[in-house]
Formats: sequence, structure tokens, C-alpha cells
Amino acid sequence: MSLTQTEMRQAGAIARPSRKQFAHPAKVARTRSLIVLGVLILWEMTTRLAGNSDLIAPPSSIVRALFADVLPDAEIRRAIALMLFEVVSAYALAIAGGLALGLGIGSTGLSRRSLFPIVLLLYAIPQVVLLPLFTLGFGIGPAAKIAFGFSHGVFPVLVNVVAGMRNVNPLYLKAAQSMGARRADIIRNLIFPHMVASFFAGLRLAMTMTLLGVILAELYVSTAGVGYFTKLFAENFDPAPLFALIGTLGLMAIGLNELVRGLERRFTRWKN
Amino acid sequence: MNLAPTPSKAALSESGVAISVRNVTQRYGEPGARSSVLALGDISLTIARGEFLTLLGPSGCGKSTLLNIVGGLIEPTQGTVTVHDTVVRGPLPDRIAFVFQESTLFPWYTVAENFGVAFKYRGVARVEWKDRTMKALSSVGMETFADHYPSQLSVGMRQRVNLARGIAAGTDILLMDEPFAALDEQSRMVLGEDLSVLLAQTGKTIVFVTHSLAEAVFLSDRIALMTARPGRIKTIIDVIEPHPRLPAFMLDSRFSELRNECYALLRDEIREAMAAQSGEGAR
Amino acid sequence: MKETSSLPARAIQLAVLTIAMGAWFIVGRTGAISPLFVPPMDAVWRALASLVQTDLFWSAVRTTLATIGEAYSIAIVLGILTGYLLTRSRFLTQVLEPIVSGLFAIPITLFFPLFILLFGIGPASKVAYGAAYGFFPIALNTIAGLSGVDRGLLNAARSMGFSRLGTFRHVLFPAAFPVILMGLRIGFFICFASVLGGETISSVSGVGRNIALAAELMEPARMYAWIVVVIVTALILNTLVSGLENRMRGF
Repeated sequence: MSLTQTEMRQAGAIARPSRKQFAHPAKVARTRSLIVLGVLILWEMTTRLAGNSDLIAPPSSIVRALFADVLPDAEIRRAIALMLFEVVSAYALAIAGGLALGLGIGSTGLSRRSLFPIVLLLYAIPQVVLLPLFTLGFGIGPAAKIAFGFSHGVFPVLVNVVAGMRNVNPLYLKAAQSMGARRADIIRNLIFPHMVASFFAGLRLAMTMTLLGVILAELYVSTAGVGYFTKLFAENFDPAPLFALIGTLGLMAIGLNELVRGLERRFTRWKN
Repeated sequence: MNLAPTPSKAALSESGVAISVRNVTQRYGEPGARSSVLALGDISLTIARGEFLTLLGPSGCGKSTLLNIVGGLIEPTQGTVTVHDTVVRGPLPDRIAFVFQESTLFPWYTVAENFGVAFKYRGVARVEWKDRTMKALSSVGMETFADHYPSQLSVGMRQRVNLARGIAAGTDILLMDEPFAALDEQSRMVLGEDLSVLLAQTGKTIVFVTHSLAEAVFLSDRIALMTARPGRIKTIIDVIEPHPRLPAFMLDSRFSELRNECYALLRDEIREAMAAQSGEGAR
Repeated sequence: MKETSSLPARAIQLAVLTIAMGAWFIVGRTGAISPLFVPPMDAVWRALASLVQTDLFWSAVRTTLATIGEAYSIAIVLGILTGYLLTRSRFLTQVLEPIVSGLFAIPITLFFPLFILLFGIGPASKVAYGAAYGFFPIALNTIAGLSGVDRGLLNAARSMGFSRLGTFRHVLFPAAFPVILMGLRIGFFICFASVLGGETISSVSGVGRNIALAAELMEPARMYAWIVVVIVTALILNTLVSGLENRMRGF
């Protein structure tokens, strides 16, 4: 008894050509570029056809606004530069603080078992509700933004440092002990490098979180800085410069992320 | 050097041809393109009913690909496969059952449920499920584990259940892709003997893929030695020894002779395959 | 990294809590830190007690919960649908998944002013913002879950003659479910936090708005009261979800 072709098709059992070969990377990249281009063109056409909109601007207007309104404006440039400064400062503090706190908390079993759960509990709170508190305490200048960025970025570093001190493969530990290593050697040659690897793995997330914190703080303070301009453009229903400003900040964020990723790659080359 | 003449064409049609592979070619990528790979080049092969045929060859010679084509999981670039006079255009669950290398038991179902879902899509009546499941499990000694989850079984036990599921399908043809590869040597030997016994009892047609020369000689009626790049059948060796094969067969001088003959024929291909693998680097 | 807390560890945690409370109490009494920043403990307690009795409180909570609920629902539907569609062909997944994960790499918070522009400062902008943010982990996890199904299992199903629906029911869904569930969990907490954030930054109603308002009006005790409500809610939710997860893992 043989199944007819129709019956086989209905059963969904038709053989497909083997998909063993992944699609050629060039073809994939080409298709992706075409899709992105297509979306941009569609965006341009629909917004132009809709006429002057208060809400959305065509990509061409955005680019024009970028070079005509946003970048030439010294105030806006200063606001962007200030934000960059805040991110970098907060990030540096988060790394230093996270490392110090992490080493402290992870140093003994007791300190870890007692203090780490507290850290995790704090990590679970949506920090954004503390934002008004931060501004009450630090004012509305860069200090509040750096502080808020720090309080976001310190957690991934802390958690990763503590985890790195803990999760060494027990097989490696056994090997080291069998070779006659003392506790100091084990710390220096096994636990420390492992912690360093874990530390670097956390740096990217720390950058993401720091950015998040600084951005939230900047947007909240609408009397000066980036937050002032976003509010200004939004309230005046001026979409083109708003998109342009946000686009610029987005590029800045991507750039910072790539920088950290490059650093991470360089320092963890032994891990494939 | 064959130890016995290949069964003549007349003899084959008397016992019946189970599988006929005609000029099967498998190419990946566009012909002529630099990335194009010829996995199988013009393979023709006839497999008789009740025969145990092994595809033996180095890594990358396309034996698994050929098996998948025979079973209807892959459509060949050229050529046809006929099973019991039907052209294969897709999986034939009531004719062909697969046993794969890795256990393909669904981890979220118990052993019994795994059998059940397989029966369901083969159209077996629900009333028969329990009986057939227990019968199949007993034949591999796993009847007490019917309600266990695959994660609770060792690798060897899982493969035994896998094997049982393939046999329980009740199909005429069993395609097995290195089913014992993940097992330690002792388990392999024991399961190999069990497989031979099962074969003698059920008369199924089995196409078996393996790396292991000893396994091929112990289990098969015929061994198709394959070369790589492109995959071709270099020669077919007969093993004349009745089923079920007994462990004593391995002590027979014929066994070593056959094994050495296979190795002699494959040695160059194996070395080439190893060299090619290191050349490719990390994929 | 779950480890049972030993008695000394618990003792230290209790000590930390006591010291923190004690410090707060002392600061409240002595006024060492500006009461604008750290109001006295009893003032906060009183504010909290009176707050929960007001209609304002409950309507704000209702608004925020409704906003979170709507945002999350939209994120789930769009996320799972997108994830499913993108995994229909291997080529499609390869082409489009990097776009989705690339977009997620940009802090979506940056786009918040755009949502205000498009939807105004009412709850609608927070629903849209929360949905947009929560969409990503759900979609990405759905893609990962569905495309990460063991090919061997799919092959086995095909060889056994499973129908398309059967493959989905017996292979795809059970295999992908744990990963998708994790995406749903992350998505929830992202919706929760982003809605609150949006309300704090620019809104007319809701819990976040009230926190910002209390700060604006220089009423720190009230602000703390609101913050305490949010923190307690967040901790309860976290514990509930962790508990559920642990229960599921046993299954």
C-alpha cells in the first residue's frame, strides 16, 4: 500500500531539499540591507504623501534637521557632550565600585551568603522610582545623573565579580590541589583569572545599564540638558529635530557599546 | 577480493528487491560555484528484502546523507530511490523506520508516551499501543522503564529504547544511522548481538551506517565501502554467515580477514578525510 | 547559585537591616541629613498610612496596573507572533533576527520622547512605550526557542509521519516553551519598570506621576510612602515569580 502524493502532502511529510547548507552570508547581508532600505523608502514616501505632519517626519527631513538645527546648535552640542561625560564618569565609578564591593562581598563564604542576597534584592527593585529622590538629594545637575547611572551600572559588575569568584570549575580546583597548590596559589592562578573573565563579561551589561540610568535622569530633568531639548521639540510638535537628536544619542549609545565589546574581546581572547 | 560471488540479479528478484537506488547524486550549492559541494556522486545500489546492508566509510563520505535520501528525508539533486516499487518522494512512515545516532526520544514524554505518539502518527489503533510497546521494550530488556522519562535513563538505555521504538514501528525496512556510536564498546557488542537476533526473528531489511569495521563485518550480509568527496561506492563486500550471528563468529579467521580487507580498502580514504577535516579548521 | 542561608548569614542580614533602620531613625531625630532628602521614619509611616486610605491612591494604582497590563498584553501578542513568523524559514531568521536584536541593543528609553510626541502625555504613551520595550525579550526568546529545537527531534517526527500540527504540538511547542516562558518573565519586568519610568518622567496620572509630583511639591514623606509601595510590590512579584519558576523546574 503506497500513499499517493496528495496524501503525503496532507500529512505534511513531503521531503524538502536538504537545508544542511546555511544561506550564503553575502546573500543574507544583501537581503537584510534591501529590507532596511525598503523600510526607509516606504517611510519616506508615506510621510511625504501625508503632508506636513506634527508627529512623524520623513527620513530626509530628519537628516536635514540634524545638520541644520541640531548639530550647529551649541547648546545642544553641549548637552550631548555633557551626557557623554556623565555616562563615562558613571561607568568608571560603577566599574570601580562594583569591583571593590564585589571583591569584598565575595571574599568569604559568610560575607557572600549574608550580603549577596541583599544585593540581589536591591537589584530587583525598579530603580526608576527613586529618580525623583536622586534629584532631591543631588540636585538637577550632572551629579544626579552620574549618581543614577552609577546606581544602575554597579549591579552587573558586582554580581559578576561575586559569581566569578565562586563558579570555578571544580575539576580545575581538583587538578590544582593535586599538583600541590596552596590556597594563595589557587586564588592567584585559578580564581582570580576566572573572576576577571566574569568581570569582563559583565562590563557590557554594565554599560547598557549605566546608559539606561543616565538617559532616564536626563529625560526626567526637563529644565536643562538633553531632557530640556526633547521636551521642547515634543511640546512644539517638531518631529524632525527630535528624531535627529534621539538618533544622534542612539548612535552615541551604539558607539559606546561597541567600544566596550571591543575591549571585552581583546581581554578575553583565550575564551573562544 | 570477495569471498563469495555477489548474488546474481536473478537471485535478487527471487527474494525481492526492497530498495533500489538509481544514479543518486547530491549536490549542495549552485553547480559550478566555488562553494558547491558534491556530497554523493552517481550512486546506484540494490538492496534485497531481508538483507542487512552496511554503509561503511570515513567521516564526510555522505553515508548519512545517502541514508536520509533512501528514507525520504532529503530529496536528491538527481536520481531516484524506489522502495517496494514505489518512488520515494517523502518519508514513508509505514514502510520505513529510522533509528538515529542520538536518542530522538522526546524528553517531555515518558518512554511509553514516546511510543504512543509514534504509533498515533503511524495509524496504529490505540488498543494495540500498550501491547506493542511492552513487547518492543522487552526485546531490548527495558520493559520496567516504560514510565520513566528519557532524562532518567543512561545513554545506553536511551539508545536501547530508541532501537525498540524503531522496531516497534513494525515496518519492513529499518534505517539506522550509527545507532551505537554514543555507546561504550561493551554496550555496543551486546546490542549488536541483540540486533542480529532480532533480525533473524523478524526478517526486516536493514540499512546500517557505521564507522566501525568490526560492527560492519559482524552484523552485515553485505558491506558497501564508500569513499568521500564525492561520496561513491568503492566496492561491495559480502559476508556469508547465517543470522543470528554468534559471538563465536568474531573469533573465526574469516572475520579478521574481512575486517582487514575493509581496512585495506579504506585506509587511504580515511587518511584523506582526516587531512581534509583539519584543513577546514573550525566550522 | 542557590544556597541555603546559614544561621550566621541570616544573623548578619538581620543586623544589616537593624542598622539601616536604626540609622534612619537617628537621622530623623537629629536631622543630620536634610529632611528633604531623608524624612523622619515616623513621618513616612504616617504619610503611608493616610495615603492608602485615599481614593487618589487606589485610582493611581489602578491606572498604573491597567497600563502595565495593556502594555504587557500587546507585547506578548506581538512578540510571540513576530517570533513565530520569523522562524518559518531558516533564511528569514538569519536575515531578520539580527535586526531585532540590534534594535534592542539601543536603549529603548531614548525613544520615550517620541512616544510622548505620538501619543501625548496620557497613559496611551506609556502603554505604547511599555509594549515596545517588552516586545523585544519576548520576540527574541520566541525566536531562540523555536529555532533552537533539536533538529534531530524534528527529523524523527518527520520520519514518523507527523502532521504539521502534530509536529508543533508534540515537538516545537514543548521544546520551545521553557525559553519562551523566560522571555515572558523578562518581558513582564521590563513592562513593569518601563511603565513606571514613563509615568515618572512625563505623565498626568499613575503611581510614577505621583512620585514625581511629591518631589516637585517638596513632600518627601509622601514620596517615600509611594516609593515604599512600589518597592514592596516589586519584591512580592519577584518572590512570586521565582517561586513559580522553582516549582516548574521540578516539572
